Amino acid sequence: MKSIWENYKTDVAYDELMFSEYQSRPVSHQLCRYLDTLKKEDIDKRKAAAELAIMEMGISFTVYSDEGNIDRAWPFDIIPRIIAAKEWRIIEKGLKQRLTALNCFISDVYGEQAFIKAGKMPGEIVNSSKNFRKECVGMKPKHNVWANICGTDLVRDKDGIMYVLEDNLRVPSGVSYMLENRVITKRVFPELFQDIDIQPIDDYPTRLHEMLTSIAPHQNGQVTCAVLTPGIYNSAYFEHAYLAQQMGAQLVEGGDLVVKDDDCVYMKTIQGLEKVDVIYRRIDDDFLDPEVFRKDSTLGVKGLMRAWKAGNVALANAPGAGVADDKVVYAYVPEMIRYFLNEEPILPNVPTYLCSNPDDLEYVLDHLAELVVKPANESGGYGMLVGPHATEKEVASFRDIIKKDPRNYIAQPTLSISTAPTLCKSKLEPRHIDLRPFILQGQDTFVTAGGLTRVALKKGSLVVNSSQGGGSKDTWIINMGDK
Amino acid sequence: MLSRSAERIYWLARYIERTENIARLVNVHMNLLMDLPKDVEMGWKQLILINSSDQIFYEKYNVANEKNITRFLLADDTYAGSLFSSLTAARENIRTSRDLLPDEAWEQVNEMYLFAKKNLDTVANRRHRVIFLNEILKGCQRFTGLLSGYMSHNHPYAFIRLGRNMERADMTSRILDLASLLLSESRSDEVRQYETILWMNVLKALNALLMYRQQKHSHVNGDDVLDFLLKNTNLPRSVICCLSEISECIIKLPNNGDLPAKVVELQTYVQAIKTEDTTQAQLRGILDDLQNKIGGLHNEITQNWFLIVSED
Repeated sequence: MKSIWENYKTDVAYDELMFSEYQSRPVSHQLCRYLDTLKKEDIDKRKAAAELAIMEMGISFTVYSDEGNIDRAWPFDIIPRIIAAKEWRIIEKGLKQRLTALNCFISDVYGEQAFIKAGKMPGEIVNSSKNFRKECVGMKPKHNVWANICGTDLVRDKDGIMYVLEDNLRVPSGVSYMLENRVITKRVFPELFQDIDIQPIDDYPTRLHEMLTSIAPHQNGQVTCAVLTPGIYNSAYFEHAYLAQQMGAQLVEGGDLVVKDDDCVYMKTIQGLEKVDVIYRRIDDDFLDPEVFRKDSTLGVKGLMRAWKAGNVALANAPGAGVADDKVVYAYVPEMIRYFLNEEPILPNVPTYLCSNPDDLEYVLDHLAELVVKPANESGGYGMLVGPHATEKEVASFRDIIKKDPRNYIAQPTLSISTAPTLCKSKLEPRHIDLRPFILQGQDTFVTAGGLTRVALKKGSLVVNSSQGGGSKDTWIINMGDK
Repeated sequence: MLSRSAERIYWLARYIERTENIARLVNVHMNLLMDLPKDVEMGWKQLILINSSDQIFYEKYNVANEKNITRFLLADDTYAGSLFSSLTAARENIRTSRDLLPDEAWEQVNEMYLFAKKNLDTVANRRHRVIFLNEILKGCQRFTGLLSGYMSHNHPYAFIRLGRNMERADMTSRILDLASLLLSESRSDEVRQYETILWMNVLKALNALLMYRQQKHSHVNGDDVLDFLLKNTNLPRSVICCLSEISECIIKLPNNGDLPAKVVELQTYVQAIKTEDTTQAQLRGILDDLQNKIGGLHNEITQNWFLIVSED
């Protein structure tokens, strides 16, 4: 019988579970021992069971190009990705440190701008950022926290070190998939949960609800929370509905809310109008309030900014928080940590060249074929260039694009991001992965145990975004008797 | 509870009930035809007359035979009144109301939808059709059952019961309409012989045969069946029973305005219907009137709870 591990290659990158085809890393000993007891047919059966569960649970993610298809099943790989609790404790600390510094920075940007005045960052970067909202200047959200929910993308390079790739501070998605992946894995491999000490993750909705309650404008009596969704055609609608349901909050669309003359937000219920205290908004700033931002927005609520500025409603994340979700600002996060917290960064950044900086620009244009170039403000893996994988023509056309708008581009060395065994046609093959933990900050700070591991299902591909054909895995933080 | 959510949940319940009713109707009709001699002038066509969909049918199909009619009623996703369209609409409504219902409810509807989608082509064949319809009936029952076991008796639940009973009352009146149509159109002596079978099937279509026997202790006849299905206060699918459930839900809900009074009016109307010695023409008139009144109540419910206009 051929092993499912046959010809498993670990020389392309750091592999999270395996030293080689024959040898597992300590974190994956138990998993590998278990997998060895399964026949190929058994593995296929488990995979089929997972697929059926996904179909029936109706977990879906819309890809815009799928016309007429409102939902399509979310590609899930049944082999979990494992991280030792000992390593995780350090990462967790690093994530908390980072978000705390980012929130200090955002407060500062809309306040005294001491960071800029101290010469730590050119003011031009903030002024030219399309996510800087002048309407927010002078605002002081509760606990001085602007980004309450953050999804930070981590990757591990060949050297085995975890790097921060980016901080998503606008409306990061994916947490529902993290939770559902665990539910499916429990159904598919219940035996494993008996022997391996896997940290639970299902308290996330409770923590989210606690955080939202902690930022309510008043603390007397019951707090009414709502999740504001762009609607049923949005790609992350499943997640909005899921979180609202898990928190027992109202799931509302723009049309359900109204701001009255008293500058308070109300929702239209069968009992008439009912006041809302906290809104977890899953709509971009641009569409939030046609009175202030885009006039043509039909997704938002007229007067919402008025209500927020009057302190009658809390918005998570706060409008304007996206100013720190910018790949140029990213380059300055280590400096923010030193400046605001007087600490050394626990998690390193990926070295970043800013095209707005003439020296960097020259280097980038000369080395395009080896670099990854990203627009400063896009998300979802759109509009980027992966030098080593691009044709000469693509590189040439990108060179012109960058020259036209250098402020809007950054470049990073192409990382050899880590791999993990992934089931491909009854065999395990290495596929590149990243990790998106979710961090909540209100009165307290909380980090999920692990996060969402995204996997590039295409062989050799480095793009893990679900909108570009990526899938996901369950992520295990395991205790190995080293507490 | 949001007005928009209330509306979606109300429709969810209506569509699930409609799905179940179509399945039961086709099932019973198929059984009826098996019992009747081949030369009786009664066929599949009556099924499309019951909800006045004959015009739409003939735009799409040439012949009103078993194959076309069952395809039209069960599997045609371009006809809004088909079983599959109703189920699809139910799924869309529950997909967008998941924040209010137990997960299992969504999974149940989703599973049923996936099953139907996969097996749509099998309905042309009688044997497979029986299996298909049974699965659908069971699925709808499971949905209703798990909500009654899992859900708090809160406002969303009241809207579910409201939607379900509105649809049910409407369907019962339509099935009675069908029966009167069958009898009035083809009242040859030959059909007269089979009248009892016809009324038995009407009872079966509403799952009421056993209850009828226990209650009436008489042989099945038209006047009694009509009376039973309109006015029996214990039979879940009788019009009066649906109305009393509707009334209970409306009273439980906030801001119900003059709706309780409207329901009382409708109840009084049904109780006053004379079921003895009515001619078929009179009966059809009464049932038409009843359907219009149920439609009117639906409009009032919509006005009252779903269309909240903000005053800005």
